[in-house]
Amino acid sequence: MDEKYSSNVLSGSKLGMVEVPNSRLTRYIVLLVVSKILKALGIFESYDILKVVHIVQFIFILKLGSAVVLLFFQKPFSSGKVISKRQWIKLLKHAVFSCIISLLGFFGLTLCGPLRALLLFEHSDVVVIALLCVLFTSSGGGPSKTRGAALFIIAVICLLLFDNDDLMAKMAEHPEGHHDSALTHFLYTGIAFLGVADHKGGVVLLVVSLCLKVGFHTASRKLSVELGGSKRLFALDNLVSAVVLLPWVIVLSVTTESKVESWSSLILPFVMIILSVVILQFYVEAICSAKMEVQRCARYGAIALFSSSLLLANFWTHPLTDQLRSMSKPLQESSTEHVLSGGVLVSAIFFIMSSSILSSPSKKGHKGTLVGYSPEGTPLYNFMGDALQHTSQSLPRFIKDSLKQILEEYDSRQIFYFLCLNLAFTFVELFYGVWTNSLGLISDGFHMLFDCSALVLGLFAALMTRWKATRIFSYGYGRVEILSGFINGLFLMVIAFFVFMESVTRLVDPPNINTDMLTPVSVGGLLVNLVGICAFSHAHSHGGKSCSTHDHGHSHHGHSHGEHGHGGHGHAHGGHAHGGHGHGGHGHGGHGHSHSSGGMNANMRGVYLHVLADTLGSVGVIISTILIRQFGWLIADPICSLFIATLIFLSVIPLLKDACEVLLLRTPPENEKDLNNALEKIEKIEGVLSYRDPHFWRHSASVVAGTIHLQVMSDVVEQRIIQQVTAILKDAGVNNLSVQLEKEAYFQHMSGLSTGFQDVLALTQQMESMKYLNDGTCIM
Amino acid sequence: MLPLSIKDDEYKPAKFNLLLKLSGWIRSILADKTSRNLFFFLCLNLSFAFVELTFGIWSNSLGLISDSFHMFFDCTALLAGLAASVISRWRPNDSFSYGYVRAEVLGGFVNGLFLIFTAFFIFSEGVERALEPPDVHHERLLPVSVAGLLVNLVGIFVFHHGGHGHSHGEQGHGHSHSLFNGTTTHKGQDHHGHDGHAHHGHDGHAHHGHEGHGHEGHAHHDGHSHDGHSHAGHGDEHRLGSNKQILQGVLLHIMADTLGSVGVIISALLMQNYGLMIADPICSMLIAILIGVSVVPLLRDSIGILMQRTPPPLDDALPECYQRVQQLQGVYNVHDPHFWTLCTDVYIGTLKLLVAPDADTRWIQSQTHNIFTQVGVRQLYVQIDISAM
Repeated sequence: MDEKYSSNVLSGSKLGMVEVPNSRLTRYIVLLVVSKILKALGIFESYDILKVVHIVQFIFILKLGSAVVLLFFQKPFSSGKVISKRQWIKLLKHAVFSCIISLLGFFGLTLCGPLRALLLFEHSDVVVIALLCVLFTSSGGGPSKTRGAALFIIAVICLLLFDNDDLMAKMAEHPEGHHDSALTHFLYTGIAFLGVADHKGGVVLLVVSLCLKVGFHTASRKLSVELGGSKRLFALDNLVSAVVLLPWVIVLSVTTESKVESWSSLILPFVMIILSVVILQFYVEAICSAKMEVQRCARYGAIALFSSSLLLANFWTHPLTDQLRSMSKPLQESSTEHVLSGGVLVSAIFFIMSSSILSSPSKKGHKGTLVGYSPEGTPLYNFMGDALQHTSQSLPRFIKDSLKQILEEYDSRQIFYFLCLNLAFTFVELFYGVWTNSLGLISDGFHMLFDCSALVLGLFAALMTRWKATRIFSYGYGRVEILSGFINGLFLMVIAFFVFMESVTRLVDPPNINTDMLTPVSVGGLLVNLVGICAFSHAHSHGGKSCSTHDHGHSHHGHSHGEHGHGGHGHAHGGHAHGGHGHGGHGHGGHGHSHSSGGMNANMRGVYLHVLADTLGSVGVIISTILIRQFGWLIADPICSLFIATLIFLSVIPLLKDACEVLLLRTPPENEKDLNNALEKIEKIEGVLSYRDPHFWRHSASVVAGTIHLQVMSDVVEQRIIQQVTAILKDAGVNNLSVQLEKEAYFQHMSGLSTGFQDVLALTQQMESMKYLNDGTCIM
Repeated sequence: MLPLSIKDDEYKPAKFNLLLKLSGWIRSILADKTSRNLFFFLCLNLSFAFVELTFGIWSNSLGLISDSFHMFFDCTALLAGLAASVISRWRPNDSFSYGYVRAEVLGGFVNGLFLIFTAFFIFSEGVERALEPPDVHHERLLPVSVAGLLVNLVGIFVFHHGGHGHSHGEQGHGHSHSLFNGTTTHKGQDHHGHDGHAHHGHDGHAHHGHEGHGHEGHAHHDGHSHDGHSHAGHGDEHRLGSNKQILQGVLLHIMADTLGSVGVIISALLMQNYGLMIADPICSMLIAILIGVSVVPLLRDSIGILMQRTPPPLDDALPECYQRVQQLQGVYNVHDPHFWTLCTDVYIGTLKLLVAPDADTRWIQSQTHNIFTQVGVRQLYVQIDISAM
């Protein structure tokens, strides 16, 4: 999105490359994705076919079929210029190479299975070239490309080392077994000579042939220009390779007996493979790379291909698909399928990431916004804010920087430490749960993890508020804080609602609860949350200290605090809980403060309330556990949760109300009186007739923006009035002000303008025809 | 002589006041087409939920009861939309100097957030169930979900018609036409606006296309007309606002519900006929993803507006405008430009100009206003600072 906006400015003023917006490309992207999914399907299908058909025969049929189709579509002989003899020879070489590469590719496919072959072999040229650039040249294109290359290599290594394929064991005895032909035998011995297992040999083979393929594509570009277009070359190439393969196939079919029972049942799969893997693929790639940039094409294609192949690999051997496929073709033994192991999964994810990083366009020369022309006529660019923020950084430095930023400020530091504590507790819980195999602990751990998301949101908001204002967000990102508080509040509301509903259902029909394990876990959670409450309530009062006291007296708040203190006091552990109580009181005072400053730290309030709700939850669980155990009151649990839900609900309301007010651009309540006084003062300034449309609103904790129109007498010094007004309003707390002075004539003019838009148009056309005449008399 | 103001407080009995307020609310709800539609649909939904609840209690089926609670939760989203559409028509007062028009953005935002929450919950539930598919009692699922589907289809139909009536609405249609025909210097913005809308339209479209499972043909048509609506609404009368965000949010919500019912029906059929227990979690996961994806543009837009982002349609046009202002006679510099969206299609801008001591400030001011009015900024505050030189 940002990249789009930063370059849109250029395109708007007809400079640089025009970037087509996403929406118009959607159909091409969809087309690309569909074709990639079909291709994955085709590769899976061809893996199955390769089990029965000899590889050379397979490739021959593939080439021949696609040549026939392409001859039909492309008509390479009847259209275009005549091909000379030298070009035929070049074409022959080209075809031989392409045969070798597809042989290698499909052989790799038979060795490592369709998923791995897809992952390794089907990278687009852009990705591989970027990878090679990073690896072998010094100008790789920045840390992000290096990251991508590292991911790629890690993915390959994952595939080599951590991929426990079941088939490997079976394949190990294979070299001594039956081999279909001399060619496969040769390759097998080659791989065995290298000293790696079959399957890993396949991986190496595929990587090598991938490099070969890219080199081959690059080299064939010249030939395609000579022959008049890559489509024609492709058609001719398929034809010639079929011719090249023909003698071999004849020899093969004479010397060896075929394993295929009926060729007719293979016609349908072959047609499908030819159409999806070769024809559709080729055309869609051609269209997409013409309509979009190659990089984007590569990125979407890679993501679609890899994820669809992952899905297919999961479901290909599934009984359901067998059932579906048995309609169309005979059932095959599925014992030798390559399984989906963890290593493959990890490497697939890495491949997706690396190809999206490597294919992301390098943004050099794209940055900067045109601000105007210098007097000499050279364009001036503005390299501010948003352009510079999106340069790629190296990862360790990024982490270091953001850590430093987090620890810089009090709020974010608090949230960060508490987040760490919470995460640690969660992981301990999860590990313990997995270790003792208790489902309750695990689910509770996931619940904690979910809670952490609120903290992460708060942390992120606290960081984002400190970003500098950009061209797009001209007031800065201060509002993120309020939005995050609002979202946290809403979130709590939803949770409270669900808890309420759940407990109502349970009130009707109280279930039997297993209370054995609940107590230690909830006490642990309570401890963690108590720490959080201490920290945050401290931050609370701290934040509000500088503001004027202005008691709003939210009784439900006091109530909830009291409740917390009471709960802790009663059950968890005496001494500390008492401290908690004191803190509760403290926090209450602080709350009054922070409320007085309106949207002040809405973010922190949201986080605080979240932690508070969690604490209440643990307290409720403890109380109800004790009640159930001592007295056998099963009803205690739903009543407790009902009570807690109500408390959460009530305590969230003020936060939501404040955030809503800020978001609705209310005049800041704490400045209201000052502002009224200031407006009265403004009216008394000498020369000011009246004011209209005074708008004042709080943008974020630190920014109060305002606009005002002043009608002044026609003989005053404007600058003086502006300064006076600015000073008066600054005293009232408005620190981002713009004053528009209107003299009588202007006011009449503008009121005339706002009656009809037509008039404005007429005026501007008139103005433009006059080419900005020097005197302003034509308007006035 | 007569102390009129003192007695005012005592004159209002509490219940009378409440009744008055209630009737006032209802009148204001019924006054506008959007809120009327919302209100009727809310009533329909609520009555359905109540019927379900009573039936559930009567037949003592827990599934029905929980489903009715789910319906109640859905109703809150509608309620939020309704409240927002009513609130957004309140008059501006001293403390809310811009009026409450932002409520519509906020309403859309809240609806979007709720949808995201729902999608998340459904997704996590789906993952859980995919790991160990539970035994679902599907004999009761079908009638309830078909009924829910029917209710939601009514909703889609209503809002489809609402959108239709809206685009044909009384205010500002001719106006918008004149705007589009009359402007020639306006191309860049028009162009961009088109794109943005096309994007939304696309989303709705994809949504609809998928939803075509349920009822053929209609949904497709619907998506198109909605698209057209937002298109036309672009040039609409600005002061009244077109409630785009609320409508979008509510429509998305109903869409999500409809999809949910369709998914349940499909998976119930699959389970009944083929015994595919995995169909249920997969269906719900797909639906959750679809909901999540379709909500993202709405959320992005409304967050942008709430954060006072520079309006995306103006992104292109603004640098050109600055350039033109700078070319005016006597203007040295443009600084502190802030442009933001108040509500749908109402843009507000503030600008500071540094001008030469001998420049004609009135002329500069009105010229600046002209330039920015052309790109669609109706409320502009220009502060002219005279340079010290």
